[in-house]
Amino acid sequence: MKKYWFLFTTQVVNSLAYPGELVGRSLLILPFMWIFYQLWSVTFNAAGADEINGLTVAMTLWYLMLAETIELSRPRLGNTISDAVKDGSIAYILSKPYDFLLYHYATSMGETLFRAVLNAFFGGAMVWWLVGAPPNPHGWPFVILAVLGAWTLNFCIAALIGLSAFVVEDISAFQWIYQKFAFIFGGLLIPLDFYPPWLQAISRALPFQAMLYAPARLFVEPSAEAFAATIGMQLAWIAALGLLLAYFYRRSIHVLTVNGG
Amino acid sequence: MPAITVSNLSKTFQSKRKAAGLGGSFRALFRPQYSTVEAVRGLSFEMEPGELLGFIGPNGAGKSTTIKILTGILHPSGGEAQVLGYTPWKERQKLAFHIGTVFGQRPQLWYHLPAIDTFTLFGKIYELDDAETKRRIAYLAETFEIGDLLETPVRKLSLGQRMRCEVAASLLHKPKLLLLDEPSIGLDVVAKQHIRDAIRAMSEQEKVGVLLTSHDAGDLEALCHRVIIINHGQIVYQDKVSNLKRKFLTRKLVEVRYAGEVGKDFALEGMETLKTGRYGVKLTFDTRQTPADAVLARLSAAGTLVDITISDPPLEEVIAMIYEQANQ
Repeated sequence: MKKYWFLFTTQVVNSLAYPGELVGRSLLILPFMWIFYQLWSVTFNAAGADEINGLTVAMTLWYLMLAETIELSRPRLGNTISDAVKDGSIAYILSKPYDFLLYHYATSMGETLFRAVLNAFFGGAMVWWLVGAPPNPHGWPFVILAVLGAWTLNFCIAALIGLSAFVVEDISAFQWIYQKFAFIFGGLLIPLDFYPPWLQAISRALPFQAMLYAPARLFVEPSAEAFAATIGMQLAWIAALGLLLAYFYRRSIHVLTVNGG
Repeated sequence: MPAITVSNLSKTFQSKRKAAGLGGSFRALFRPQYSTVEAVRGLSFEMEPGELLGFIGPNGAGKSTTIKILTGILHPSGGEAQVLGYTPWKERQKLAFHIGTVFGQRPQLWYHLPAIDTFTLFGKIYELDDAETKRRIAYLAETFEIGDLLETPVRKLSLGQRMRCEVAASLLHKPKLLLLDEPSIGLDVVAKQHIRDAIRAMSEQEKVGVLLTSHDAGDLEALCHRVIIINHGQIVYQDKVSNLKRKFLTRKLVEVRYAGEVGKDFALEGMETLKTGRYGVKLTFDTRQTPADAVLARLSAAGTLVDITISDPPLEEVIAMIYEQANQ
């Protein structure tokens, strides 16, 4: 496993090659949080309530900050695999003594780390200024574990999409669908608590809410039960999608066509 | 035991076909048509340990596909292959510890990091201890003359410098076999020479076998003991390089510029005139019939030489000649 740890740390260093770009990209979260603040304060005012379905404006904003941090920081692994298939550089990954999927897991986590730290920093600063202090820090270590689970789950889905590049090469349509599903069923723009019951039921049956909603909800209302439920749900999805991923990887590698010969 | 044994290897790809225009795209959407491309067809050959084997042929001949099957990246459609005792597509990771690969201009070095970082990472990936990695980097830095390049981000290196680092990186773990897919593509003459010298030195010092694909006859002449010429996925010729040179690279092209005007009926004994200009002339001769020194003597006797270039015919022409012979 040592080699994967070094792949992770090398990618962390690599992600710092252009610090200006890294910071610039992370600033995107500032207008997002400002717009969310305007939107949700108007909504809560119009409803004339301090709390809707268990969430206050402050909780909603902190929820959205974490959901956005997870979404904006998650690596675009599907594109990475697809590009490697298109330009033929996948040949190098496959000619080294490491596991193809673990290689991508290590490097994609390395790519995520600083993006996540900066998104959380800028997003957190903005939300603190708008609605006040964050939720109690005693829950943060559990939230960090849930966020790692979220990215691992994202890895399984994104790698499945990426592997389809072995057959179809261009995967942008699948990427687009995945992103929109994560937006809607993951609760990226609206917490699932505000959805009508039928849409909540659909969302809870899909993996996207374990990626965005569950860790963000845990962040604003931490509890041992919520943590156990989140991790349990994530592990179940990671196990199911991980098996599917391993199966598809074995199948895909047989049909791989490397461009350029 | 041979380092590589390939027997009756084949690889076919399904390639989607689409007629031109919007109509064609629309039809392809509902009734996709595929054509079968036979990239490799019944290939059989052996390579001895420590041998320098050139695998040449024009673009699309099946060279890269063969290399990718031999590294375990592609699964063949049929046939058998053993590389250092492993079946590549079944034991890819085990084999990877014993082979080094360079794929043309595709970088294996991390683009934004100094090459030394990739070398150190490779040390971990190939499970070398830190002291061994350091010793090895120092040795390769000297052989490939890259000591002062190692701490520069790879993106800031010239193509020639980068390729030297790429080949050096592929040798970090002391592989028994080096598979080089077009290592000199896009390089200038000096950079090509640097790479060839370093590969030859490594091969001599560490007895590493080299299988090299190229469509540059210069790589072949400078590096290889033996050559396999492949076209349309099949071997059309295999022999020692010295034999190939004696048999096929005997015809030379000469381009000459004179200080004064040359006549339209310019002709010299033992040479065929291909083209004449006002001051220049292009000729061809066969070294078996007319020795090169006789050619030079006749050319300089014909006027004051300003410039002269002697070159081999393009490899495609050599392959065409080999085909012609095979048909006869």
